[in-house]
Amino acid sequence: MAIAGVELRRFLKDRSNIFFVFVFPLLLVVLLGSQFGGEGPTGRAAVAGPPSELRSDVVHRLEEAGVEVTLSEADAVRQQIARGRTDVGLFLTAADGTSLAAGRDVTVDLVVGSQAGSRLTVQHVRTAMDGVADQAGQVAALTGAGIDAATAERALRTAAADASRPRVTVTDADGEAQQFAGLGRFDLSAATQLLLFVFLISVAGSATLIQARRYGVMARVLAAPVSTRQAISGEALGRFSIAMVQGVYIMAGTALLFGVEWDSWPLSLLVLAAFGAVAAAAAMVVGSVMDNDAAANGVGVGAGLVLGALGGCMTPLELFPDTLRTVAHLTPHAWAYEAFAEIQRHEAGLLDVAPQLGVLAAMATALLVLGGWLLERSLDRAL
Amino acid sequence: MTAATTRAAAGPPAVAGDVLVVEGLVHRYGDLVAVDDVSFRIAPGETFGLLGPNGAGKTTTISMVAGLVPAHEGAVTVTGRSMARDPVAAKAHLGLVPQELAIYPELTARENLTFFGRLQRMRGKELDRRVAEVLELIGLEERAKDLTKEYSGGMKRRLNIGVGLLHRPALLILDEPTVGVDPQSRNAILESVEALAAEGVAVLYTTHYMEEAERLCDRIAVVDAGRLQAEGTRDELVRLTGGVDHVRLSGAGDIGAAAAALRSLPTVVEVAADRSALTLTVRDAARAVAHLVTAATAAGMSLDGVEVSRPDLESVFLHLTGKALRD
Repeated sequence: MAIAGVELRRFLKDRSNIFFVFVFPLLLVVLLGSQFGGEGPTGRAAVAGPPSELRSDVVHRLEEAGVEVTLSEADAVRQQIARGRTDVGLFLTAADGTSLAAGRDVTVDLVVGSQAGSRLTVQHVRTAMDGVADQAGQVAALTGAGIDAATAERALRTAAADASRPRVTVTDADGEAQQFAGLGRFDLSAATQLLLFVFLISVAGSATLIQARRYGVMARVLAAPVSTRQAISGEALGRFSIAMVQGVYIMAGTALLFGVEWDSWPLSLLVLAAFGAVAAAAAMVVGSVMDNDAAANGVGVGAGLVLGALGGCMTPLELFPDTLRTVAHLTPHAWAYEAFAEIQRHEAGLLDVAPQLGVLAAMATALLVLGGWLLERSLDRAL
Repeated sequence: MTAATTRAAAGPPAVAGDVLVVEGLVHRYGDLVAVDDVSFRIAPGETFGLLGPNGAGKTTTISMVAGLVPAHEGAVTVTGRSMARDPVAAKAHLGLVPQELAIYPELTARENLTFFGRLQRMRGKELDRRVAEVLELIGLEERAKDLTKEYSGGMKRRLNIGVGLLHRPALLILDEPTVGVDPQSRNAILESVEALAAEGVAVLYTTHYMEEAERLCDRIAVVDAGRLQAEGTRDELVRLTGGVDHVRLSGAGDIGAAAAALRSLPTVVEVAADRSALTLTVRDAARAVAHLVTAATAAGMSLDGVEVSRPDLESVFLHLTGKALRD
């Protein structure tokens, strides 16, 4: 435990880790989630014009539809459109609201950007404007029937709130799209970046094992009343602790900051533990085979990136061709990816992910035995 | 103290209550025999030196003593515990100070000491108290919270030794602890070793600096090519060279006549002459030098210099191995 504790302490005290361990993974989760995530806003609209009941109503309806709305001056809205920062620009005037309430025809300016999603946002704006116009028409009809305007508006709001709307279930005919059903915007990127960084940081951290040998610290440890097996177990546990700290940090950070749904935490932590054991054992192998800590660091980063890419951490496994997907299962990443996918998307239980956990446990055991044996040999070499 | 013995003579004498007993150690690297039948004992409070050049087998010997590498033959016993049969118990009584700075540079001195203390099964207040004591002993209490990578070389060396002392071992093994150390820190380290021996700690000290061995060690083993060539006190080892000193008389005049006159003296073993000096091998130069000067002057040599050199461990090493210590 003392050896594991000191390895974890060295890891946490290394200032160069602050960015790569604690900042960079979350940045990538945001970046990838923004690019590929499923549940972002359905569009962006910039609205210009003085405060009015019409503006408030339109903005409310757009936001209800999931459109991200910003309020700006007319020039600023034009700039946003020109720079592609909004899909559409809606220009309202003070007279528009008055005219609409009086039942007159109103024409508003809508400038559309060139982004792919702009057409959809235009549709959202049309729907919102139609809704506002319909409500104005209904109020006018009711006041014409002798009901005062305030009562009419209140009654219409109550009727809208009480109305039972039909439930629409959208089934995507695209099989790949179905695979990602149930995922939040950052859920997929959080899981993949967790796997990428746990493995990469663990294996790159094998350099500290080489340093401990080179500094003579391992010799000193073995001169203490500690058996070789205890020393090796301590090193393995230290590397496992590092993997777990990295993984739990990403899980907790993404859950708190980005609302990532890990669904069953105990089960997700179990998958992380199994994957972390594989990463720790791989670090033992690299740290035992190599004698140059800088080279081990490079190998760790390189192997982490390659295996991560092959295992679905950069492009989802579901998008892989069949052959490549089969090859991907040589990596622990692919098995852990599938386990997280089952948990996050299908509310899987322990039995559902038992095959993946079994494979990860087998990989961890094999690598731990190999790593322990290689470390013992490397200690003989160093002493 | 024991009489000086060469390896051809009998093995080390038994001393009751020896902290370390090393008997017939052998270690091979493939066909190379790195340590060949090495035996010695160390009593409490005794400092025992292994003196030899780089590659002589000193580090391999202490690695076997510390249980780091297995002995292919022979046995190591620390405070009565066999390193082969009960290594954990044997190791609990020894402290190792390796030649490398075996500390974590990313940790502070206190963190390093605490970590190694835990490996020695020290816990809680006992550990905290002992860490504080050792920090004071090695003069690092003011820098205890600084990362050791920010320390000077001498401070790191002191911490390296402090780690070895933490659990109050009966046997302290120091492998070339002053390599690369400035003179001030070196002196501080030597004083620390002297103080530890005075407290009753048995010290196994390897070095290739004969001055350190002469200053610190009660007994010295001369090691070369994996074999223990001789063992004894400094004076006992010197006597192995034949107990002769060298006197150099330089000057002018009738050097040939002076050489002839000196050869007839009973204390003179050998005379070598050149054009301006005579080099004499003599017994007990301190007593004989006045007679030598008188005889040379009487024979017609006018002296302008007299040098007396007594044999040291360098001479012993040369005598035993035929090569210089730093070869």
